[in-house]
Amino acid sequence: MTVPTATPAGTAPSDPRDDRAPGRLATVLASPGTRLVGKRVLLAVPIVVGVSILTFWVLNLIPGNAAQQLLGPEATAEQVRALEQELGLDQPGYVRYLDWLGAAVTGDLGTSLVSRQPVTALLGERLAVTGELVGLAFLVSLGLAVPVALLAAYRPGRMFDRVSMLVSITGLSVANYVLALLLVLLFAVELALFPAIGFVPLSQSVAGNLHSMALPVAAISFPLFCFYTRFLRGDLVDQLQGEDYITTARAKGIGPGQVLLRHAFRNSSFGLITVVGLNLGTLIGGTVIVEQIFALPGIGQLMLQAVNTRDFVVVQACVLVFAVVAVLANLVADLLYAVLDPRIRYGSR
Amino acid sequence: MRRLRLRYSAALAAALIGVAACGGGGGGAAAPDAAAAGPPQSGGELTVLENVTFAGGWPTGLDPATSTTGGANVTQLSAIYGGLFRLAADDDGSNARVEPHQAETFELLDEGRTVRLKIRPDLTFSDGTPFDAEAVAFNFTRAVASPCTCNPRWPLAENGITVVDPQTVELRFSRPYAAVINSFPVSNTNWIVSPTALQQQGEDQFKITPVGAGPFTVVENQLSSLLVLQRNPTYFRQGLPYLDKLTFQSIGGDQPAYQALLAGQAQAYEGLSTTPLLEAAQQQGALTVTAQPPTSPYVIQLNTKAAPFDDPRAREAIYAATDFEAISQGLFRGLYPVSQTFTGPGGLFHQEKVEGYPAHDVERAKQLVGELGGLEVKLGTLRSYVAEQVMTALQTQWQEAGITVSTETYELSTLVQQFNSNQWQSMLQTAGAWDPASGVGVAFRFRSDSPFSGVADPELDQLLDSAAATVDQAERARLYAEAGKRISDNAYAPFGLAFAAASLATEGVYGPGLTTKIPPIVVNTGILWDEVWRAAPQ
Repeated sequence: MTVPTATPAGTAPSDPRDDRAPGRLATVLASPGTRLVGKRVLLAVPIVVGVSILTFWVLNLIPGNAAQQLLGPEATAEQVRALEQELGLDQPGYVRYLDWLGAAVTGDLGTSLVSRQPVTALLGERLAVTGELVGLAFLVSLGLAVPVALLAAYRPGRMFDRVSMLVSITGLSVANYVLALLLVLLFAVELALFPAIGFVPLSQSVAGNLHSMALPVAAISFPLFCFYTRFLRGDLVDQLQGEDYITTARAKGIGPGQVLLRHAFRNSSFGLITVVGLNLGTLIGGTVIVEQIFALPGIGQLMLQAVNTRDFVVVQACVLVFAVVAVLANLVADLLYAVLDPRIRYGSR
Repeated sequence: MRRLRLRYSAALAAALIGVAACGGGGGGAAAPDAAAAGPPQSGGELTVLENVTFAGGWPTGLDPATSTTGGANVTQLSAIYGGLFRLAADDDGSNARVEPHQAETFELLDEGRTVRLKIRPDLTFSDGTPFDAEAVAFNFTRAVASPCTCNPRWPLAENGITVVDPQTVELRFSRPYAAVINSFPVSNTNWIVSPTALQQQGEDQFKITPVGAGPFTVVENQLSSLLVLQRNPTYFRQGLPYLDKLTFQSIGGDQPAYQALLAGQAQAYEGLSTTPLLEAAQQQGALTVTAQPPTSPYVIQLNTKAAPFDDPRAREAIYAATDFEAISQGLFRGLYPVSQTFTGPGGLFHQEKVEGYPAHDVERAKQLVGELGGLEVKLGTLRSYVAEQVMTALQTQWQEAGITVSTETYELSTLVQQFNSNQWQSMLQTAGAWDPASGVGVAFRFRSDSPFSGVADPELDQLLDSAAATVDQAERARLYAEAGKRISDNAYAPFGLAFAAASLATEGVYGPGLTTKIPPIVVNTGILWDEVWRAAPQ
């Protein structure tokens, strides 16, 4: 297969001597995809700033501050005031926020009020754990939900469909912390197949890492799997039963498997992508609880501890990370729409 | 074995859905017979779980002078630093006493105004530098200025810390303070850091990788998450510690900790307070459950400085409406004894009964409420399983007596706010310590000048001060008995269940404070980690 190229063979496209390079750059910059990404990135900035303002405001509404938490109930008012001064908590809220924001845009997320450790170092240690947990949970939940939903929708109302819907409803009815404890009970206590707590870094052992992440990932991904399965199966059945393009495809003699996979699933995947993007918040919320139960040293655990000690610098940083990840996930979802649907690409032109 | 596992899984599932395990009650798994297991064995590792909301949180590190959670982290600090003194007891928790540990001897002079500590000779920190009087004095000076909740609050005279000779440090107080020795194990003055290591590392790094002279040294420290320690080969006690490696792992609560123990991922858990789990563990027998002798009873603090409890009749009505015996039996199967004063059965100067303590009498309570023309009360407590259960039961009892009750559960910060604003009416709290004068002791709840007291009674202040100052133990006991009677006579605050958290250990793990009883000096028992050992698998 010949791949069409815009540059003659032997000429490096980035060659500064190539007088066509600026033209190509302008073409790339003017392309619908680039403009879409640019729009979304520009939109992301106020979203992230808005989230940080909201977080700061909420943290200020919570009674008590880091000084009071650190010193405990025995501390005198003078001791609390002295520590507030030392930590800069006596400054007005907007001053503290602007100080934080000013440093954050330069990549300096500050120093923890409680541990006095650089926040970037604290996050760095834990980002890999939470990132892996979230990534694996997405992979597992989607990787299982898509085939199960396709099979269920292929013959709706049959045994497989009924069983899968029963499992989905059950999964949606169980809170993930209860599920986590039940998984430990069954797979760690009773069957001794997986560890109940602890984390093995990837750098130490890949197998050990996956073994240690099995139950936390299952606890987070099972409710997601149930939700995705139920959602996708419902949408597929709607498409298959009520859409004209499906009737047309069938009239052309395309087999039911092809109709399901190449036509119905392609259309249903838009809804699934939206749901996956929107579900990221739920997923992140789930990590906070699950990391506590499985003693995983992730960002969720760090954030919960920081909330308890009113360490707003660390909480802000954690929320910032989560917000950026959520915005990026939605950006990826938007781009996937564009890939899947030419109308969106043309609309952005 | 399979059947046994299924049994405890079933009970665990019941606990998961909030159903208290039924049956027996009060019994409990027999303490393991360490003697039958043969002499203590050296070697092996142990992972101990700590609840992240208390001992499992060390967000400011483990330098006793800069840690603000030292009171909760006694277990980690004692493993790293050892301690000048420590609380020991016979296996059944009786005969509890504060013993010199890295200190060799002590003398109380000048009627308790002066304390002379002699440090053991030839002690060294794990970095090889000398652990002598200079090092101890350096640490005392840092500790006094510490923001830690466990700073010593000594009534120090000017230049009150002096080095007498290379092995002797002297403390001079502005007034007698005989309770100083008993206060050491819960104070940051007990943990002596290596001044050389501190200087070399700087404070910010030292709190992550502290250096002491305790049984273990720090290998890895992830704040409030994981602390890995290894045997200190230069530890001063010959042949100790038994363990090669000790790991503290934070965990999100009693339930996951219990399951992790059953799954074999850890071998010990400190601070179990969820009663259904405690009962399940006791009945199943798979773990050693050591319910520690309680030292700090619950108390219903009444704010006598404001309405409605500035009227003694309102306070008497609360005493008459309250039946802690019924709560103890009904909710906790008699697991926690009921106190009538600020001491528990495991503590010093405990007295079971206070003469003239107002009895439970609903009719009397109704009569008093009628005289008052009704009584509306706001009752609060800190969020915890036992406290919230007790608060709900109290609400029911008080309502039976015609008292209108609203309840509130607080986080620490909102609780502090209530006290500081003096808006509170009644609070269910714990009071006391192993020695009432140490830690968050009785004065904290009852002295006139404490912001967390609802009482302003100079005579009671005098009694508490004298009891803390007096060298003679019999006289201290008499003074505390008198203070307890004064609280009761004035209906300042009804006392209730004396609660202490339990320790859990898996089979083959033995050690003082873990599988034997040592009274909690304030909240958790101080496990003597250097003597904890594991039997080799059969």
